[in-house]
Amino acid sequence: MNSSIIRYILGQVIKIEGALMLLPCLVGCVYGEHSWLYFAGTSAICILLGVLMTYRKPKSNVFYLKEGCVITAFSWMLLSILGALPMWLCGEIPTYIDALFETVSGFTTTGASILPAVEPLSKCVNTWRCFTHWIGGMGVLVFILAIVPMSGGSSMNLMKAESPGPSVSKLVPKVKSTAMILYAIYIALTLFEWILLMIGGVPFLDALNTSFGTAGTGGFGIKNDSLMSFSPYVQWVVIVFMILFGVNFNAYYCLVFRMFKKAFTMEEVRYYFIIILTAVFIICCDIRDYYETFGETLRHSFFQVGSIITTTGFSSADFNTWPMTSKTILVLLMFIGACAGSTGGGIKVSRIAIAFKTLLKELNSYIHPKSVKKIQFEKKPVEHDVLRALNVYLISFFLVFASSIVLISFENYDLETNFTAVAATINNIGPGLNMVGPTQNFSFFSTFSKLVLIFDMLAGRLELFPMLILFHPTIWKQLFHESKKQVS
Amino acid sequence: MSKNKSSDSRGLNIIVVGCGKVGVTLIDQLSKEGHNITIIDNNFSKIQHLSNLYDVMGVCGNGATLSIQQDAGVETADLFIAVTGSDELNLLCCTVAMSVKDIATIARVRTPDYSEEAEKLRAKLGLDMIINPELESAREAARILYLPTVLEVNKFAHNNVEMVKFKIPEGNKLDGMTLIQLNRSISSDVLVCGVDRDGAIHIPSGQFILRAGDKISIVAKRKSAREFLYKIGFDTHQVKDAMIIGGGKSAYYLALQLIRAGIEVKIIEQDKARCEELSSLLPKATIINGDGTDEDILREEGIEDVQSFVPLTGIDEENVMLTLFARQNSQAKVITKVNRLTFRSVIDSLDLGSLIYPSFITSEAIIRYVRAKKDSMESNIETLYHIFSQRAEAIEFRVHKDCPLIGKPLMDLKLKNELLLACITRGESVLIPRGQDVLKAGDSVVVVTVHTGFTDIEDILA
Repeated sequence: MNSSIIRYILGQVIKIEGALMLLPCLVGCVYGEHSWLYFAGTSAICILLGVLMTYRKPKSNVFYLKEGCVITAFSWMLLSILGALPMWLCGEIPTYIDALFETVSGFTTTGASILPAVEPLSKCVNTWRCFTHWIGGMGVLVFILAIVPMSGGSSMNLMKAESPGPSVSKLVPKVKSTAMILYAIYIALTLFEWILLMIGGVPFLDALNTSFGTAGTGGFGIKNDSLMSFSPYVQWVVIVFMILFGVNFNAYYCLVFRMFKKAFTMEEVRYYFIIILTAVFIICCDIRDYYETFGETLRHSFFQVGSIITTTGFSSADFNTWPMTSKTILVLLMFIGACAGSTGGGIKVSRIAIAFKTLLKELNSYIHPKSVKKIQFEKKPVEHDVLRALNVYLISFFLVFASSIVLISFENYDLETNFTAVAATINNIGPGLNMVGPTQNFSFFSTFSKLVLIFDMLAGRLELFPMLILFHPTIWKQLFHESKKQVS
Repeated sequence: MSKNKSSDSRGLNIIVVGCGKVGVTLIDQLSKEGHNITIIDNNFSKIQHLSNLYDVMGVCGNGATLSIQQDAGVETADLFIAVTGSDELNLLCCTVAMSVKDIATIARVRTPDYSEEAEKLRAKLGLDMIINPELESAREAARILYLPTVLEVNKFAHNNVEMVKFKIPEGNKLDGMTLIQLNRSISSDVLVCGVDRDGAIHIPSGQFILRAGDKISIVAKRKSAREFLYKIGFDTHQVKDAMIIGGGKSAYYLALQLIRAGIEVKIIEQDKARCEELSSLLPKATIINGDGTDEDILREEGIEDVQSFVPLTGIDEENVMLTLFARQNSQAKVITKVNRLTFRSVIDSLDLGSLIYPSFITSEAIIRYVRAKKDSMESNIETLYHIFSQRAEAIEFRVHKDCPLIGKPLMDLKLKNELLLACITRGESVLIPRGQDVLKAGDSVVVVTVHTGFTDIEDILA
C-alpha cells in the first residue's frame, strides 16, 4: 500500500476544498453577512492542513486500484467532515451530525435535507450547500486530475474509483485531458442554465444556486417548497437541464467534435430517453384529473420524472399526494437512475440494460440450451469481466439496501418511509415518500439512522466498492503497517 | 476535424497497434515523453491491463480494420505504429491507415524474406520507416564481437565515431586516475562521457577519479578508440569464431554479418527442418542439430575453446542460464539477448557482460523518429541511444545554419547540469570539443545527458 500517495492526494483535496470555500465567503462578504467569517476560517484551516500534507512529495507516484479506492473513499469523507464545519460553527445548523448529513447530502448530490426551512439560512450557507452539489457532481478527484500534474497511468485508478458506470472509458488518451474536457462541458452547461434562469427573472444568486443544484443533479432547493413556486418557464428550463445532465457526457463530447452519428446512436442515451418518455406518458394519464390544463399536467409529470430519474430531487409538485401508480413508477425510476458517465446517481441505465439483456439470454438458453450468444452493448460485445462486476454490483447494492432498511427500522417508522428514505439516499435522489416526501425532511431520524443514511449516500455516489473495501481488514492492516514503518 | 482533439498541443497523437514486448516498451517510453497514445490490440485483458498501467487509451479489436482505426481516432493521429507479431498484418495496418489520411507510418517487418527488399517495400508502400529489431540487435551483437573486450559499441556520425563502453578491470592503469591525467598521459583524442559506478550515473568532469569496477563510456574516432583500448591493455582483435545457440531470425542475421567479417560461425538449433533451412541459407556456417541447452552437446561442440558465445533462444531464462554456464566453463566473450523487461535489476546485478535488449533497440529508433517529428522544423536529430540501462541518452544533433549557438566558444555557453558535448563532427574530421571550440553550421554534435526529451540542440542550454 502506497500510503504516501494517499496522504499527498488527500492533501491536494483539502487544499482545493479550502479554495472552493472562498466562493460562499465571497457571497457572504457581498451580502454583508457575518457567517462568511466561519467559511474564511475553515478555508484557512483546510489550506494550511493541505499544504502541510502535500509538503513532502510522495515516495512513488505509482498506485493501484486499491489505493485509488481508499483515496476516493477517504477524500469524500474528509471533504464532508471539513465541509460541515462552517455550517455548524456559525450556528445555523445546531448539531454537528445534522451539518454533516447536510454536507454529505450535498457532496453526494443527494439533496436530502434535515432542515425544516431553508429560507432563514444566510445566503452564504445556502450557496455553500448548493455549491457542494456542483463540486460533487463531476467529482473532486476528477477536478484534481484536471489541474494537478500527475504523471503515469496510475491516475486512471482514481478516475475509475470515482466515476459512475460499469466501465470507465477515456475520451482522449490522457487522463488529464479527459478530465479537462469533462469539466469544460460541465462548466459550459452550468453557465448556460444560469443565463437562461436569469432571463426567466430569477435573481442572480438564486439562479446560480439552482444551476449548481441541477448541474450536480443534487436537489437542494433554495426555497422551502423546492421549485413549486417558480414560473412554468423556469420549471421547463430546469426540466431540460436536469435531463441533459443525466446524459452520458461522452455524447456531448461527440457532439462538440461533430461525431454526430456516434452521438445519436448511443444505446444508453436512447434507452434513457425511452424510459423518460414512457414514464411521463403513464404518469400523465394517471394524474390527468389533478391539474386543470394539459400543459400543467405534462409539466409536472416531466418535472418529477426528470428530477427522479436523474436523481436530482427537485420537485414542482408534492408527488406524495399523487395516486399510487405514479408514486410506484417514481420509486422504480429512483433505482434506474441516470446514464453512466453523467453526474446522476442510481444503478444507471446501462447497468439495467445489460442486466435485462443477460436475463433475455438466460431465458433463451432454456429454449436453446446449446445456443451461444454474446451480449452486445453499444454495438460491442460485453466482456465477461464487466458482466461479473455488474452482477456483483447488483447483489451488493441490494445487500447494502436491505441492511440499511433493517438498521433504520429500529425507530419504528412505517415501511414506506424507511424504504424510500434508504432508496432516496443510496440512489442520491433526496426526497422519498410519506414522512420523507418532497415537502418533508430527514431531521426526525436519530443520530444512528443518520449515520447509516450518510454511509448510504457515500456508498451510492462512489458506487459501493470504494466504501465497502474499507471494511476489508487487509486494507487497514496494510495502512497501519505502513505508517508504523514510516514512524520507525 | 482539422482542430486537434487533444487539448494540450505538446504531445503527438500516436496510435500503436500490437502490445507485445516491443509495443509495451514503446508505450512506456512514448507516454513518458508526454504523447497522446492510443493502443490497439486483439486481447481485451491486455488492453485493460496496459490502460491501467499507463496513461493511454485502449481500443480492442483488429488494428487493420477501418472501423477500429476510426475508433482509435486515426483521423486526428500524427503517427501510426504497427508492431504486431505478424509482418503482413503490420504492413496492412499501415496501408489501411494511409488510405484514411496522409499519415506517417512505421511498421515492424522482421522476416528475412522481406528484409532484403525492406527499403524498396518501404518506398513503394509509402511508409516512413520499417524497423527490424532482430536485424538491429544482430548488428549490435556483431559490433561487440568485432571488439570483444568491451561491453557496448554505439556508432555516430555515419560510423566515423564510436561510443565504447567497458568495465575497468582490477589493476588496470586507469584505476585511480583523474580524467585530466588520462588525457595527458594516455590519449587526448578520447572523452569519457559517462561513468556507471554501483548503479549511479555520473557525467564526469576533469577532476573525476576513475576506479576499478566502473563501467565507463568513451567517445572517440573509430581509430583512436582502438588505439586507446590497446594502450590501456585491452585486446582489440575481433573474435575468430562464434557459437550461437538457437537458430531464430536474430541468429540468422547475426551469422550473416559475422560470416561476412570472416568469423567462423556455429549454430546449434533443435529443430531439424530449421537446421536444413539455415544450412541452405548460410552455406558457410556449421549447423548443429541438437538441444543447445544440453551441457554435453555444448562441451562436445567445444564451448571451452570458443572465443565467443551468443545464446539467442527465444526464452530469456535459458539465455541467462547459458550465459552463466559459459562464463563458468570458458573464457569466451558472451552476449546475452534479453527480450522481457521485467527483473532488469536482477539481470543487471548478475554481471552477464554485454546485454542486448531488442525491444529497446526498436523503441530507440522509433523515439528518435518521434522526437524529430515533434520538432516542427526539419529534423535535426541524427541518432539517439539510451546508454547505461536507459538512465542516460546520447543524442546526435545536426546544427542548422540559423542555430543561435553558432559562433560562440563553448565555454561561453551556459549549459545544463549533467550534460556533456561529447564530440563534434565537421565534414570528415572529428573533434573532441574543448572550451575554445565553436559550433558551425552543418556540424553534427553528440550530446550525452541524463535529461530526457531533448528534441533540438538548443535544449542543451540551461
